[in-house]
Amino acid sequence: MGKLKKSLTVFLVPVLSILLAFGIGAIIMAALGANPAEAMKALFQGAFGSKGSIGTTLNKATPLIFTSLCACFAYKCGVLNLGGEGQFLIGATAAFCAVHCSGAMGLPGILLGLVVGTVAGGIWGLIPGILKITRGLNEMIISIMLNYVATLFMGVIYTSWLREKMPQTPPVDNSLKLARIIPGMRFTWALVIALAVGLLLYYFLYWTSSGFKLRAVGLNMTASRFNGFPVKRYILLSFVVSGAIGGLGGAADLLGTQFRLINGYGAGYGFDGVAMALIGQLHPIATMVVAIFFAALRTGATAMQVSTGVPTSVSDIIQALVIVFSVAGMALTALPEFEAFRLRLTSKKGGESA
Amino acid sequence: MSGAFITSVLEATVRMAVPLLFISLAALYSERAGMVNIGLEGLAAVGALAGFMMTYITGSCWGGILFGALAGILVNMIYAFATVTLCANHTVYGMAVNLLAPALASFIYRVYFGEGSSLMQITLMPKIQVPVLQDIPFVGPLLFKQTPMVYLAFALVILTSVFFNRTKAGLTYKAVGEHPKAAATLGINVIGMKYLACAICGALSGIGGAYLTTCYSTTYTEGIVSGRGFIALAAVIFGRWTGGGVLIACLFFGLCDALQIRLQVSSMSIPYQFFQMIPYVATVVVLAIVGSKKAGPKANGIPYRKEER
Repeated sequence: MGKLKKSLTVFLVPVLSILLAFGIGAIIMAALGANPAEAMKALFQGAFGSKGSIGTTLNKATPLIFTSLCACFAYKCGVLNLGGEGQFLIGATAAFCAVHCSGAMGLPGILLGLVVGTVAGGIWGLIPGILKITRGLNEMIISIMLNYVATLFMGVIYTSWLREKMPQTPPVDNSLKLARIIPGMRFTWALVIALAVGLLLYYFLYWTSSGFKLRAVGLNMTASRFNGFPVKRYILLSFVVSGAIGGLGGAADLLGTQFRLINGYGAGYGFDGVAMALIGQLHPIATMVVAIFFAALRTGATAMQVSTGVPTSVSDIIQALVIVFSVAGMALTALPEFEAFRLRLTSKKGGESA
Repeated sequence: MSGAFITSVLEATVRMAVPLLFISLAALYSERAGMVNIGLEGLAAVGALAGFMMTYITGSCWGGILFGALAGILVNMIYAFATVTLCANHTVYGMAVNLLAPALASFIYRVYFGEGSSLMQITLMPKIQVPVLQDIPFVGPLLFKQTPMVYLAFALVILTSVFFNRTKAGLTYKAVGEHPKAAATLGINVIGMKYLACAICGALSGIGGAYLTTCYSTTYTEGIVSGRGFIALAAVIFGRWTGGGVLIACLFFGLCDALQIRLQVSSMSIPYQFFQMIPYVATVVVLAIVGSKKAGPKANGIPYRKEER
């Protein structure tokens, strides 16, 4: 019974946060002179209204699923990887360079790109991991610094080394582009890869003994160390895998939708991923659902701007408010005062029914 | 290496170090009270926008600075409420602020100035030019030809050092970050202190952001803070949680920034992004050398629960 109640609050907090965030979003829309109901309807229809828009939403969700799983996996092991963006970009950049310079075509080229991207992302994740376990450094600052380095390195590629006339790289060869699965819907095999990674993570974390140990390290490092778990190895592993997921995401997104490196690519994906993982309470499946929800918000926002004139940045605010409320909500439900309040409520109810 | 070159690099060092110094002091005041705030980047972004808008509307840079500080305090109160009162995880909530604050800033900018508007400009804060003294070679332009904000930043460093090391209030303040329970038994209002720390932190990082628009760049662009909020956290570690240490760290990062701009101009054959990487790579290298997380306040980043034993 207690467990049921607990899972109810776990589920309720994000849902209430979303409703609250949308409520404030509606107030902002009204303040801008738009009809909130109309704008919300446009938002919803833009995201889910037709087959095409669902396809666009899922396509937008693909990179977000990768970066949110990237954040989710590391945080499960108790380390906060804020370098998802850098790992994503270094993956995309490495994949692009590999297929561009080797001239590989077709399926072998695709596989080459994905593998190189994954490895590059893993190496990029290895750096903060190694510095954490050997020098005791704060992994967050290091991984954020590496985001900037990765973004600038991508800049070197598209403004100097592999530049077209414009400051951007040429697109990848047509034979390398990941195919769409359903005609009329924009998402590609990259989505399938993303979902597969999510399911695999779920299986690993909850159904294998290594996954259990990894979660144990995340929950209590000291206790895990006393139990003889190789804590440092798990931390390093979580960073490398997390980075590899980010890198794979970059490679898959490059071959699936982006095709070329260009200014502003991938900006914000990493932090958004962390937010989604937190709202999804670090559960891989829930995290993927949240990523799709956020993608819907973005797809819908564009439609909303076209039909009602409400700027897309309203959806950014709604998105940020969801995380602000849900994290605060989770903290609130963990307070002893709240627990006492909840017990008083339930005991009162019990008294009435008796 | 001509004298003029060295002077210009040193001058740029000071100019680049000052915004970082404000934000680093914000981090220092926050962490001394046990509050790890990685939302500084977002706070500075809000401060930058608030400072820019106020200066744009009123024409007064000082109004902009003040308004930047107020905006920083306001946004940081969200963080304070969640972490102090609700005991949320500091880092996680800092992340939330980092998402909310820039979204808010760019939304307000777009609504106020219009979606596709060309870049609005403001006039920068004038420099104080001390007659005669500014003509001294080397140190003249460095020390006597700066904006008042530069002097304010350096005065703040001295004030901070005195406050933390020489005053009773400073010791009380530090006690909250070292051992909040012991502090509470001595009758210190720990919760109030932590809120105060968040207000100081918000104000200083807001000023740091406002400096960027009112004394440095003339326009507001998204991403204007460009990682200074995170580098500030590194500067506090590098500076061993002391005012003087933070100053040295900020001057070092300022020098990296000044050098990278110089190098960009002087060697066109190497892609300029490699030079832009210097401050970020330097941060990683410096942290790797300095290392260790043990030096900071003992209760840094740990939520304080009153009733817990």
